[in-house]
Amino acid sequence: MILKNFQAHGPSPAQADRRALRQLPSASTSYQTTTQLHHRIYSLVHPIYTHQTAEVLLGITGKDFTIIAASKAAMRGATILKATDDKTRELNQHNLMAFSGEAGDTSISQNTSKPTSASTQCATRPPSPAAVSSFVRSELSRALRSRRPYTVNLLLGGYDTITDTPALYWIDYLAALAKVPYAAHGYAQYYCLSILDKHHHPDIGFERGMELLRMCTDELKRRLPVDFKGVTVKVVTKEGIREVEYVDDKPVKSA
Amino acid sequence: MSSPFSINGGACVAMTGKDCVAIACDLRLGLQALTISNNFPKIFSYSPSVYLGLTGLATDVSTVADLFRYKVNMYRLREERQIAPRTFANLVSSSLYERRFGPYFVSPVVAGIDDGGKPFICGFDSIGCIDFAKDFIVSGTASDQLLGLGPEDLFETISQALLNAVDRDALSGWGAHVYIIEKDKVTKRLLKGRQD
Amino acid sequence: MDTLVAQYSRPSGEQEGYSQDEQQELLQLTPPLSLKFALPPIAQPSSWLRAMTDDYSNPNCPIKIAHGTTTLAFRFQGGIIVATDSRATAGNWIASQTVKKVIEINNCLLGTMAGGAADCQYWLAYLGMQCRLHELRHKRRISVAAASKILANLVYSYKGMGNNVRRRNPQEGPALYYIDSDGTRLSGNLFCVGSGQTFAYGVLDAQYSYDLSEEDALDLGRRSILAATHRDAYSGGYINLYHVKESGWVKHGFSDTNPIFWKTKLEKGEFSNVTSELE
Repeated sequence: MILKNFQAHGPSPAQADRRALRQLPSASTSYQTTTQLHHRIYSLVHPIYTHQTAEVLLGITGKDFTIIAASKAAMRGATILKATDDKTRELNQHNLMAFSGEAGDTSISQNTSKPTSASTQCATRPPSPAAVSSFVRSELSRALRSRRPYTVNLLLGGYDTITDTPALYWIDYLAALAKVPYAAHGYAQYYCLSILDKHHHPDIGFERGMELLRMCTDELKRRLPVDFKGVTVKVVTKEGIREVEYVDDKPVKSA
Repeated sequence: MSSPFSINGGACVAMTGKDCVAIACDLRLGLQALTISNNFPKIFSYSPSVYLGLTGLATDVSTVADLFRYKVNMYRLREERQIAPRTFANLVSSSLYERRFGPYFVSPVVAGIDDGGKPFICGFDSIGCIDFAKDFIVSGTASDQLLGLGPEDLFETISQALLNAVDRDALSGWGAHVYIIEKDKVTKRLLKGRQD
Repeated sequence: MDTLVAQYSRPSGEQEGYSQDEQQELLQLTPPLSLKFALPPIAQPSSWLRAMTDDYSNPNCPIKIAHGTTTLAFRFQGGIIVATDSRATAGNWIASQTVKKVIEINNCLLGTMAGGAADCQYWLAYLGMQCRLHELRHKRRISVAAASKILANLVYSYKGMGNNVRRRNPQEGPALYYIDSDGTRLSGNLFCVGSGQTFAYGVLDAQYSYDLSEEDALDLGRRSILAATHRDAYSGGYINLYHVKESGWVKHGFSDTNPIFWKTKLEKGEFSNVTSELE
């Protein structure tokens, strides 16, 4: 059962419009032509798909850890409402979710954290990253075809204590799921994936992982036209989830 | 630009040979121009000789693949036997038509060997119309040279067909999986395609 | 009377940079590169053209112009490195994998193109002509600044017509300019252009320094294009690599990305996201 937080100030006209478009045609709606039907259905995904945000989510796996970084700026329109926002949530001891997207829709983290936490499971073990990712994906895909889909992009960082391997899952708001060695959401994808393609190896240690993260955040500071106020960094290891202090006050050199 | 069918990209092809069938898919998961993952297989197995290829919107590829896994498992428990390709094709068709007014944005392809050892392939549109084919699914021109090919030749043909197709499509490629299905043997191979 | 009318009925682009007489002279000498473009016989040619050709806002537009590219150029102590991919796409269709996106304007001036292929080729050919004329008139080679200004002015005079020209001219000095169809003209040390620009910037920025050795600079240029071809669906094909030195440019091959990619992956262990074995 999903109960969502409604925004106090109500949706903007554009949001309302998109939301209306995204609602699936109900049985009572009649369509004269197939084309008409298709237009209606296509608009489900089209108007929002090209939407890329300046919110930064990054994930890097290594030999025995998964690093998750999320930008600290909470933006609404042209304003930064908060510069110390934490866009992550611990789902259970070894699973961390990072989220970005439409205001309020990020409540998916609350709605999925309960079912995935150890206490609500009959089993003796909390669910593995694979199980959590599958559960979150199914919640998101069900919501996609409901009256109010979530418009959130997610990264799931975890550590599988049975196989002793780190795991990282990329999920977009359409509920496409991919297991990847490193991932990003928003504009960060366009700058950071190529850096990680070059410098990432599956068996890197934690120190090297942080170096890669530094390369990524430096590039974003250099090239992104907006200030995302730095990143909160958390790391998932065998021992659990911990926050890492990330000093980010040095100016970056431009070419 | 972004019909749901072309957001994530992807390609799949199935062909018949002599007492064998082949099915192949690319491995890309994209977000329009951006490549997210190079390891997103689109072929799923539902019995030792029944395979389903799904291209289209990635979320629906996963949803539909899981849905059929559930349905086929239920079938197997009830019937105490493996599902036959033709039965599976009809299951796909009726399941897709259940969503006639809010379809899954996928284009499925089924390939398998039936109980008599005869090859079976077919394709569907997104709301379940079955397109039975003798030779191949997804590909334009008729080709007599396909008929009568043995497993090795069929592998060569389907690989060339798929690779040549995805090398001319910006949104597919980045490697491929090929399955050659014979009566009592399935061979899976990875094609190292172009990565650009 | 006829000459009077002719003076007032020419497209505005002609007035830029050169006097009427000079233009006249040019046009007579080189008929294939005239600036008299036939315009659609309607009230708003530019908006009509946009409606017909902009496949971004309208995927079903009747005329699909080939575009989608990654090109880069950067300055370092040994000159300038210029590198491009070679893919031309029309919609999702890969129209060609062997496009030459570096245009050799003369033996020490290079331009790269991103955007409308026809526009780029035409305007760079035109620029080549202007540069040669400049040489003949003034008995010395044109500076990069001047050449880039000719181009910027020209392109600016057609602003809004959807020309889609984006380009850089490195050389001599050595200098590097970014020009686009909006009329922007920027000098700088490092530019990446096209749909894959961000991926190239990512790799390039991380390791760029002005003091790079020649070999490292060539490798970095090649690797940046490879990164972009891998992640950007509309970039790919071959890597076209040039090194511009004081004495002129040197070509460093037009090489297929596929063997380079697998070599990079298997020998250096990069691209760990790509599977090379069935698990």
